[in-house]
Amino acid sequence: MIAVGKHLPRRTILRGAGVAMALPLLDAMISVSPAQARLVSSPVRRLGFVYVPMGCDRSRWTPPGKEQLAELSPILRPLEKVRDAISVLSNMELRNAYPGTHATSNSSFLSAARAKHTESNDYYLSTTVDQIAARQIGQATQLPSLELAMDLMQTVGQCDNGYACVYQNNLSWSSPTTPLPAEAHPRIVFENLFGEGGSADERRRQRQQRASLLDFVQDDLRQLERNLGRDDRTKLDSYLTSIREVERRIQRAESNAAVPVSDGKAQDPERPIGVPASYKEHARLMFDLQLLALHADITRIITFQLARETSWRTYPEVDVSEPHHPLSHHGNDPEKIAKLARINGYHVSLFSEFLEKLRQTPDGNGSLLDHTVYLYGSGMGNPNVHDHQNLPILVAGGAACGFRGGRHIQYAQPTPLANLHLTLLERVGVRLETFADSNGRIDELFEPLNL
Amino acid sequence: MHPLDSHGIGYRFLLTAAMLLASGPMVVPANGADPDGSGPWADYLRRYCQTCHSGKDAPAGIDFTNALLRGLPASSRETELALRQVKRRQMPPNVAEQPSAAETARFVEHSQAVLDQRAALHPQPGQTASIRRLNRREYQNAIRDMLDLEIPAASWLPADEVVHGFDTAGTGPMTPTLLDRYLTAAQRIARRAVGSAIASPAEETIRVPADITQEGQLDGGPWGTRGGILLRHHFPQNGSYEIQVRLARDRNEQVEGLREPHELLIVLDRSVIARFHIVPPSAGTDHESVDAELRHRIHVDAGPRTLTITFVQKGESLEETLRQPYHSHYNTHRHPRLSPAVFQISITGPFDPQGPGQTPSRLRIFGDGQREHRNDIDSTRERLAPLVRRAYRRPIVESDLQPYLRIARDAGADASFEAGIEAALTALLVSSQFLHRIEQGPRNEAAGTAHPVGDLELASRISFFLWSSIPDDELLRLAEEQQLRDPPTLRAQLARMLRDPRSESLATAFLPQWLQLTNLDSITPDGRLFPDFDHNLRQSMRREAELSFLRIIRDDRSLLELLRPGTIWLNERLARHYGITGVHGDHFRELASPDGVRRGGLLRQAGVLTVTSYATRTSPVLRGKWILENLWGSPPPPPPPLVPALDESPTSSTLSLRDRLSRHRADPACASCHQRIDPPGFSLENFDAVGRWRDREGESWIDARGGMAYVPDIEGVDGLERALLDQPELFLETIAEKLLAYALGRGIEYHDLPSIRRIVRQTREGHDRFSALLIALVDSAPFQMR
Repeated sequence: MIAVGKHLPRRTILRGAGVAMALPLLDAMISVSPAQARLVSSPVRRLGFVYVPMGCDRSRWTPPGKEQLAELSPILRPLEKVRDAISVLSNMELRNAYPGTHATSNSSFLSAARAKHTESNDYYLSTTVDQIAARQIGQATQLPSLELAMDLMQTVGQCDNGYACVYQNNLSWSSPTTPLPAEAHPRIVFENLFGEGGSADERRRQRQQRASLLDFVQDDLRQLERNLGRDDRTKLDSYLTSIREVERRIQRAESNAAVPVSDGKAQDPERPIGVPASYKEHARLMFDLQLLALHADITRIITFQLARETSWRTYPEVDVSEPHHPLSHHGNDPEKIAKLARINGYHVSLFSEFLEKLRQTPDGNGSLLDHTVYLYGSGMGNPNVHDHQNLPILVAGGAACGFRGGRHIQYAQPTPLANLHLTLLERVGVRLETFADSNGRIDELFEPLNL
Repeated sequence: MHPLDSHGIGYRFLLTAAMLLASGPMVVPANGADPDGSGPWADYLRRYCQTCHSGKDAPAGIDFTNALLRGLPASSRETELALRQVKRRQMPPNVAEQPSAAETARFVEHSQAVLDQRAALHPQPGQTASIRRLNRREYQNAIRDMLDLEIPAASWLPADEVVHGFDTAGTGPMTPTLLDRYLTAAQRIARRAVGSAIASPAEETIRVPADITQEGQLDGGPWGTRGGILLRHHFPQNGSYEIQVRLARDRNEQVEGLREPHELLIVLDRSVIARFHIVPPSAGTDHESVDAELRHRIHVDAGPRTLTITFVQKGESLEETLRQPYHSHYNTHRHPRLSPAVFQISITGPFDPQGPGQTPSRLRIFGDGQREHRNDIDSTRERLAPLVRRAYRRPIVESDLQPYLRIARDAGADASFEAGIEAALTALLVSSQFLHRIEQGPRNEAAGTAHPVGDLELASRISFFLWSSIPDDELLRLAEEQQLRDPPTLRAQLARMLRDPRSESLATAFLPQWLQLTNLDSITPDGRLFPDFDHNLRQSMRREAELSFLRIIRDDRSLLELLRPGTIWLNERLARHYGITGVHGDHFRELASPDGVRRGGLLRQAGVLTVTSYATRTSPVLRGKWILENLWGSPPPPPPPLVPALDESPTSSTLSLRDRLSRHRADPACASCHQRIDPPGFSLENFDAVGRWRDREGESWIDARGGMAYVPDIEGVDGLERALLDQPELFLETIAEKLLAYALGRGIEYHDLPSIRRIVRQTREGHDRFSALLIALVDSAPFQMR
């Protein structure tokens, strides 16, 4: 059971029917676990990862500034409003993704590990950074982690150069042999987060019915116990414990029921139906769901594949009618590179909208962005040659946890992406000597700038 | 007429020792003792067993020193353990002095007679749990039988714990997750059953497994169609619904197999309600537009319907591959789809809902709807009482009804009569007496005294055993009237229940767990070595086994037919796997085994042969262990810790598997078990890791010489079957033990073994028929008592 410092009795909340809760979360209802209380500096409480496929046009990605992120590059320009919350890292690499493939770009992004080269079901990777973090900070929430994607893909067998499809389909692995499939259907994600029922009213009614049902179950059990022998009575012990735990879950769901969308005003989310036909609307919805899940503290760990390796998606929104994958093999044709950069910039713009919403959402003593750290990037560098160096990588948010932002961290030598993973893990409270091929930490993320 | 009704197996419920003795093979003195440590029992143990089996370090922890001091009846545990090994010629080991066949027979006969007599005098029914939670199959069936409502419990409730090989124990803790899911399931079920109004349209999404080949006709699909999915869907209210289809894609998000125009049909029950033309998009464009508009809105009346999404068959497609043509088609790179496939169906609605309609469950709850229901307590009681009775599986009294009437009244006060019923039903579905099977001993009886279970409890034991569900009204009524222990009545009920379609659960739930076919779901043979494996084949393998067992149950045939090649159950996919031609379509049919085809019988079924193999190769060890455990009743002990894996290094791979395993047996630490385990497994070497027949492996001919403990040299699967059939009672004992474990949800203990022997004797007298075994099992002390 989670340690609960001070809390309101269940019925106070549940029977206060019909009243949308004011935000931020009722502080009295947030449980404080002793483990967290012991940490001196403010740890990272929420961690997100966004994956974009097939690298980028480096010439339009790399920001011009040396240390300070004074000016943004063409691809990164959409991030202007949140520039102070962004650190761009240049010259990061994934050695274990070689020999260069799409499958390993995806699978090494969060694992930094070498994927066993097999097309069969004896695939083997390693536990990914998000899942290690989830073991530390994901256990007290309804969902230890949330895996999201934009494509409803379930391909099995071989997908890329003799690599099993699982490497290309799944970013997140809870063990070397357990890929976690992502969900792309907004309604399924929503029901996973908030339960069934189309409107907030319906969901509230259902929660209240569940609370009454638990009362019934408890009475019914007492009735039964009277008719049982002593030995049998002990068998029902787990029942009573579970009743209390489920009550606690309902209570938490009740306090999370009302969340802000963009202007900080309490608003109950409506359940989405279907998958929006437009990529833009679909992506926005998936980002909104992340905001809701983080704010309601339903999960603290999120991975999101904003598009997949080898995707043939076209982007008419930015006037690119050629499919992404063939375009990425641009053969150094300037026209094709320019189009690729438009796709890269478009992906960044979707992410930046999300960051702006996070910033507009109050949380604790700041904004949700201050209390959340996102890593955005690709496991491929130059898609024309399928390399895994000079990766497009940026880190956003986390001001309340010591992340400085507004930086361009440029390494003279290729530096393992695993260093970033190791650093993030340290900030969520997992102290490891190394992670995959790491050879250091990235302290620059936290140092104040020398002006 | 079921054979059970006609041929006369003497049914008797034998609680009295005198009657039991009459069925025993040998009458021994009433005290049955071998008290002074003399006689054939003690002589045998002393001479052939005790040399090794004595003292603290006795092998397997079995020490006969005390047994010999205390005499036979007092040491039934040790004696049963010895009997099991001796009867199966597992002991004494062949390095020790061997008893003559006559000595062994005398030892077996004498010990069994004494143990059986003792069991008759002092029946020990064993520790069947007094509180068992329904597993999710039982839950689903109970909802079906109570409310006439089909639900997909496997996707609503977490998987059940498997104890002693079966999911029927029901003794795991009530975890928060489980309780949470029960609440959700109860809310959904009550809402569906009553058909209450839904404020906003809901969406359900069904996905087709990715490794299903969709080139052939669906079982039950319309003629002239291929692929897609056929599903049962519950439409909650009269109203209009939108059905949307999304097609399967390859890794590049391109619709797979779309090389020419195709036609897609949406079929509701038996009518085609929509027809779409699917056209390949022009080169270099993305495929979003291909299926963006595969949606159709239509009015549907509430209730369960069959929805089929399928394609019009276009005749033989040419395979666009240079490689060997495969039967499976689901991966662009290995065995590409020849034509488009369905990936997902979404059903959204109701839009403009128009009431609950006339569904089977509303008929069950509210009657034919001719009468207006007054919103008062009498109407509520009238509707709820039969539901509570079925749910509790016993007659009910007023105090049982009170809490539900209260809930209905509270919910109905500001709502309708139906809302009250729905609220009460929801509560009923999370009540402890619905979710659990509770067997209470008679009051004031000293704890631990064996006693017959009550008639109502017996009714539940029988119906959960045969149907995986609650008793029906007839069975419940007979139990209430205390007629269930009348032998002809019970026999007639068992016959009736076997004829009922619900008894199929013996084939679909008991059998796959007994034979470990449930593991098929998680088995995927190596993609390089066995590229021609898909979900269709996996399902077909399991269905073959189920149908062959169902034939034995329904026609009341000899259980020994399980080990005899005879007829085969096949559909096209499995026939092609077996190299049999001329079988078309996805549905299964029974065929006489064609000449030269080595199929029929458990040991020749691809399912069994696949679950006992590794992903890359066959395993005589796994197969041998499987045979000893599941057909022979002599499971080998688990391997010791730190046991080295078989040498799979390249240098040793030039050796045959047989040579590598024989090296392994040369190690004395391994030999004692593996000389028993490996030989029966070797006799199945003619079947590869997915159960196809093979005469050669690579360059070399298959060597299928094997053996069993009492038949050192047997050749191939024929020899193995003959060897098993040579000792039918050992095979029957194993089935009886597995069935009893399944029925009681507990492991078999030494004190169950006299009952098992009695069941087998009666089965043999009844010509090894399934009904004979079933009647004897239901009649046994462990089943009748607690």
